[in-house]
Amino acid sequence: MLEVLFIGLSLGSVLLLVALGLAITYGAMGVINMAHGEMVMVGAYVTVLSGIWLGANIFVAIPLAFIVTALLGLLIEKLVVRKLYGRLLDTLLATWGIAILIQQAVRLEFGLSFFGIHIEGLGPGLQNVAVPEFLQGAFSIGGAEINRYRAFIILVTAILALLTWLIMYRTPIGTQVRAIIRNPKMAAACGIDVERVNALTFAFGSGLAGIAGVMVSGFKTVFPDMGTPMVVDGFLVVVMGGVGSLLGSVFSAGILGEINGLVASVTNDILARAVVFGIVIAIIILKPKGLFALKGR
Amino acid sequence: MLSKRHTIWAIYAVFIVLTMAAPLVMDSFWLNRVAKYLVYGMLGIAVALSWGYAGILNLGQGLFFGAGAYMLAMSLKLASATSLQQGSDKPVPDFMMWNAEPGAPTELCCINKASFLWLPFQSQWFGVLMGLVVPMAIAGVIGTIVFRKRISGVFVSIITLAVVLLVRLVVIDAQPITNGFNGLTDLGWLNVGGFEFDPYVVQTYYLVAISLAVVLIGTRLLVETRAGLILQAIRDDENRVRYLGFDVPTYQTFFFAVSALIAGFAGMLYVVVSEFASPTFLDLQFSITMVVWAAVGGRASILGACLGAILINTISATVSETAGFAEGWKVVIGLVFVLVVLYLPRGLAGIAHDLLDRLRRRTPADTVRVGDATGASQLAE
Repeated sequence: MLEVLFIGLSLGSVLLLVALGLAITYGAMGVINMAHGEMVMVGAYVTVLSGIWLGANIFVAIPLAFIVTALLGLLIEKLVVRKLYGRLLDTLLATWGIAILIQQAVRLEFGLSFFGIHIEGLGPGLQNVAVPEFLQGAFSIGGAEINRYRAFIILVTAILALLTWLIMYRTPIGTQVRAIIRNPKMAAACGIDVERVNALTFAFGSGLAGIAGVMVSGFKTVFPDMGTPMVVDGFLVVVMGGVGSLLGSVFSAGILGEINGLVASVTNDILARAVVFGIVIAIIILKPKGLFALKGR
Repeated sequence: MLSKRHTIWAIYAVFIVLTMAAPLVMDSFWLNRVAKYLVYGMLGIAVALSWGYAGILNLGQGLFFGAGAYMLAMSLKLASATSLQQGSDKPVPDFMMWNAEPGAPTELCCINKASFLWLPFQSQWFGVLMGLVVPMAIAGVIGTIVFRKRISGVFVSIITLAVVLLVRLVVIDAQPITNGFNGLTDLGWLNVGGFEFDPYVVQTYYLVAISLAVVLIGTRLLVETRAGLILQAIRDDENRVRYLGFDVPTYQTFFFAVSALIAGFAGMLYVVVSEFASPTFLDLQFSITMVVWAAVGGRASILGACLGAILINTISATVSETAGFAEGWKVVIGLVFVLVVLYLPRGLAGIAHDLLDRLRRRTPADTVRVGDATGASQLAE
């Protein structure tokens, strides 16, 4: 039983990793970023490439992936998303186009494959990342076998969630972000540079997705299409938790992860995912604003 | 000078004549392909109706397409030669035999626990009927729940998206009766009064082309009815229509179900043309791709969305013929999509409307009417 709960917790923490960035960008900026899954994918590829070309392990890849995806996010915000504020469904469609572009950039090795140049680690194939030795294997607590890497993911997720909370609730810029979540126009009237804060928020959210990619690459195969199912999961977590509520995302990621783990232990993974979708649908229908909706006028 | 409405009907007529004339210049291989693209065009109509006219961005249109496809495919599967050669005088799908428990009777009723569901599909017309009824019923249930609860905008999109993914997983998991990931392949041909619709004969092409013409004109007439106008009013301001005393959810649900019906019909035609049904119809990618077609063609134009779907698919098939370009083409699609959303929200149909208006402005007799060419009435075209 403890093992099942633990697996659920680790599933939930992966969900949360992906959802954290979305919770911020969707909540603060009203942007449905379908390219968020591709940020995860880019983060995973940064891990692969830094392993091959720098001989670095995932600890080096974490800051690298954050920087790369944050810059990419900044670029997307400046070029596309900025022009679409207030048009929620259009951001969904435009970022879907961006997602295709990023996938193809990786698959075609930035177009170099047309010229016969191949970069090891990119391209349409599958990639794997070796986890450092001390994170392999399992240890046991109270008779339950606990996978070390899963425990590591939970730890990293907890640190990132805490860090995000600190930034959002204990720094001036976080206060500005929360003001924008509540009411962008009023925030602008109070002298907050909404454009600048939005750009930074988007970059930070993308950076978090990059770190999620590093973590995911340790236990999943890395390939160009890997991001799409993740963005869907992350998105459902955010909507179920309540848009703009960090606590809501943490809570719903935990619940969904545990439900997934529990159902999977009695039936199979496919049905477990189906049950999770069913629960999310029911909750959105019953409480469209999510479990932890912000109250406001 | 013709009125704008006449001009638009003239464009419809030209389009239909062109689709009907295609067999004059194409061989059977290309006809089969174009028939597929016409089916996609029908999907474009379904998207335009729910997105452009009802303001409901359905990210799960693939659910209705898939439901229509699977219903007919089940009947055609039982009609295929292989299903009759499984050692029983009654048809049994081959995949059920492969997975049957040893000693299970080779009868559709009891080869596995759920196979009895297939029994009525021995009649092809039951499959056809279900292909229309099931998508509509699903849409009716979803619509009633969602619209009665006054859920709107992005939340409808998320719910439809989650529903299609949920159904996809269930279909994959129900392997004994759906053949899971592999879907239903090796199907028989649709048989109408003794005539078999071989996907590569010209009659099959006409079946699709005429269906498309009927759906196109029917949808166009439908949105011009009183109900269609109320629907567009709901799209523009839901609350105002509610205050005027109209029962908003009924209109929304009705048009949502009609859109599902069209998608389900398209799914059935697709099965006739391509001879398979698979869970890929329920993929998120497919449902969003349909929306892309409609966006490029013009989300608020029935013919535009239809043409968008046909154009994109024809171009991508042509380009993908060249080796190595298939992947590069996807880059173009992604780029086109971003640019269309950013700079051309009304799609190709928007350009066409502007051109039409500019041409008409030159003719002095019509100057009076130019005044009403506001954004709203253009959107409604």
